[in-house]
Amino acid sequence: MFYREAGQYKTSYAADMAVFPIRQDRIGIAVILAVAFVGIPLFASDFLLTSIMIPFLIFALATIGLNILTGYCGQLSLGTGAFMGVGAYACYKLTSYFPDTNILVWIVASGFFSAAVGVVFGLPSLRIKGFYLAVATLAAQFFLEWAFIRIPWLYNANASGAIEVASRTGFGITLTGPAAGALPRYFAVLAIVVVMTWIASNLLRGRIGRSFMMIRDMDIAAELIGVRPLHTKLLAFAVSSFYCGVAGAMMVFFWLGAAEPSAFSINLSFQILFMVILGGLGSLIGCFMGAAFIWILPVVIRMVPEVLGLSVEAATVEHVNFVIVGALIIAILIVEPHGLARMWQILKQKLRVWPFPY
Amino acid sequence: MVAMVDSPADVRPDGAEAPVLLAVQNVSLAFGGVKAISDISFDIREGEIRAIIGPNGAGKTSMLNVINGFYHPQEGTITFQGKVRRRMRPYEAARSGIARTFQNVALFRGMTTLDNIMSGRTLMMRKNFFWQALRLGPALNEEIEHRRRVEEIIDFLEIEHIRKTPVGKLPYGLQKRVELGRALAMEPRLLLLDEPMAGMNLEEKEDMSRFILDVNQQFGTTIALIEHDMGVVMDISDRVVVLDYGKKIGDGPPDVVRANQDVIDAYLGVPHE
Repeated sequence: MFYREAGQYKTSYAADMAVFPIRQDRIGIAVILAVAFVGIPLFASDFLLTSIMIPFLIFALATIGLNILTGYCGQLSLGTGAFMGVGAYACYKLTSYFPDTNILVWIVASGFFSAAVGVVFGLPSLRIKGFYLAVATLAAQFFLEWAFIRIPWLYNANASGAIEVASRTGFGITLTGPAAGALPRYFAVLAIVVVMTWIASNLLRGRIGRSFMMIRDMDIAAELIGVRPLHTKLLAFAVSSFYCGVAGAMMVFFWLGAAEPSAFSINLSFQILFMVILGGLGSLIGCFMGAAFIWILPVVIRMVPEVLGLSVEAATVEHVNFVIVGALIIAILIVEPHGLARMWQILKQKLRVWPFPY
Repeated sequence: MVAMVDSPADVRPDGAEAPVLLAVQNVSLAFGGVKAISDISFDIREGEIRAIIGPNGAGKTSMLNVINGFYHPQEGTITFQGKVRRRMRPYEAARSGIARTFQNVALFRGMTTLDNIMSGRTLMMRKNFFWQALRLGPALNEEIEHRRRVEEIIDFLEIEHIRKTPVGKLPYGLQKRVELGRALAMEPRLLLLDEPMAGMNLEEKEDMSRFILDVNQQFGTTIALIEHDMGVVMDISDRVVVLDYGKKIGDGPPDVVRANQDVIDAYLGVPHE
């Protein structure tokens, strides 16, 4: 009833090719952005910003990165955590050398280092596909983790072996380090994620996104149309690693404040991969849904006993948490193997024809 | 079933023969000990519809794969638009204007009809990564310009109603049509069709024949097709080349080929000694 596009005629190809061709969608995204930029900063507590929103946005960005590679270009990768680590360490080194430069510049710049590393570890993708490629990208995971531990130069030979974020500014505001408030960090993360999501959606709807999907769906036919497989796959690795790198840098600088090499272990890779699969392969909105499901849901569940006034032991809550989230993941994937994004699509279709079944 | 068109494209109005677009000279291809193609030569003239026929395993598809660079022949050369090559590469073939459809539909199943046909324009889209990322100004104009051309093809093939449908959900006949559309979007000089009518019913075959003839006449595209339906082949093609066991056993206009004893033997079966 409320979600129906009857009467919305498109008179140009530009209007037909818009990201949100339906008016209700445009209103919806405007509301979401208003809530994100105005509503949450006005009313949110530090806990909501630091423990929920900032990590959620960062994970969503990393999920977009992996989704570009796996969901759009069809190349399975388990090196996400390591590529995020490259971004974090690159940003750390850059800001150690140039402490006075706007930290946001280095956050974005660190993506390029990650992209370069991603291209190198993407080279095997010309020869191997699927699970075998996933195993090959494990090499990135192991090698880079080793490098983060064994090369003291990377962490400025810190006694703790971890990278610790010093106080850095952007536009005259302290954005990182212990002195940085939650709000400036939230705005920095939000701005970067919104802009990069917009860029990803542009790329994926145009020639480059189509060539990724061509490689994913039928590489032989793609080659025949003039898409060079190696070129395209490496571009996908580069773009994907760029996103992961920026997410990794933000993870350390805007969220954790310090990180040991183990922060970028294979567990992180798997966590991001689950977000991609649960959200929906080949869907940008799914990235946000997947990240929200895996990051926000456990936090919410953890808060339930407190809100209800039950005195349950923290460890028990944690166990129940695993059980509930795990069961939900299985249930969702059985109901809809294409993830939350597809569920959302089906729901929209149902709304469109409601109250009729079709 | 389809009316004969009186445009023998190989004969120009002034009576001279059309120039040769593609020439295959003494090509041999073997997989290990199996000779798929042995010493075959034939040519395709500009503007004609050239059929390649033969029983199963005669080497027809291998021949197409050689022409657009999937297989690299051990011997022989391929001359396309005056340029002699030992071997083609798929990318070069696409660049120089050879498009193709497949025997088993090779569409991008996760993409819509529109995106599938848009993908055929890939080589013609030149705006760089930076503009693509912003999707403003030049990149958007380019996208709209190509969309307009793609919509012309969609109109031409009468598939407006499935524009936004993922091709994986389409029935087989429509998938074949979308695949033709994707090849047409490349604006090829030479269009290779590998069994465009396999598995179709009579009506779908008639449609497809009409599209092939229209493509040939309206766009002036040269077409080489493999087909098993002899009625179609004899009706729409200007010249026919017949392969059997990797060898060429006949070549010429449909009437001549039809009367060729070797061809009759190959199709009806005579013990090979």
